[in-house]
Amino acid sequence: MGCDVVTISTDTTFVHLAWREHEKELAAVTYPMGADPTGNLSRMFGVWDESTGLALRGSFIINPQGTLLGSEVNFYNLGRNIDELMRKFKANVYLARKTSEACPSKWKDEGDKTLTPGAKMVGKVHEALKD
Amino acid sequence: MTDTIGSLKLGRTVPDFVCETYEPATGEFGTFSLAEQMATKRWTILFFYPADFTFV
Repeated sequence: MGCDVVTISTDTTFVHLAWREHEKELAAVTYPMGADPTGNLSRMFGVWDESTGLALRGSFIINPQGTLLGSEVNFYNLGRNIDELMRKFKANVYLARKTSEACPSKWKDEGDKTLTPGAKMVGKVHEALKD
Repeated sequence: MTDTIGSLKLGRTVPDFVCETYEPATGEFGTFSLAEQMATKRWTILFFYPADFTFV
């Protein structure tokens, strides 16, 4: 399933180049590094912090039709868990195919148990998860 | 902190946007376009962060 990850900060593309080429921790980075020096994109996604001119730690999942399906925003001092982001991405891709299903909280990857919400499951989620 | 809530909502279509990029895969500058993602039927994950040369 085709997916592109794009990182974005209010730094310019020149700073991205310098950071990527200098910081060894980024040696494996091959995804595009987006620049939002005007803050317009950050404002659109609700992560613009006017008091600093920086973007908060926001992750957004957009499907191929352009619909926003997921968002998570954290404050500066809390890094996001990439495994969790990938879990949510995989769940969204799966659910785009299986539109009558839902991924319960313990769902990790395709093949894990899902739920099929409906009248039969009302009051019986416990049994549904046990099957 | 002042209000940072944007107008985008889950379940709504994201307005088309373009963004200048640095592309480590080629070492060149480029452009990212949401319209291009939709034209090529690809998912997009946007990952905002505060600043280069910092931590976390």
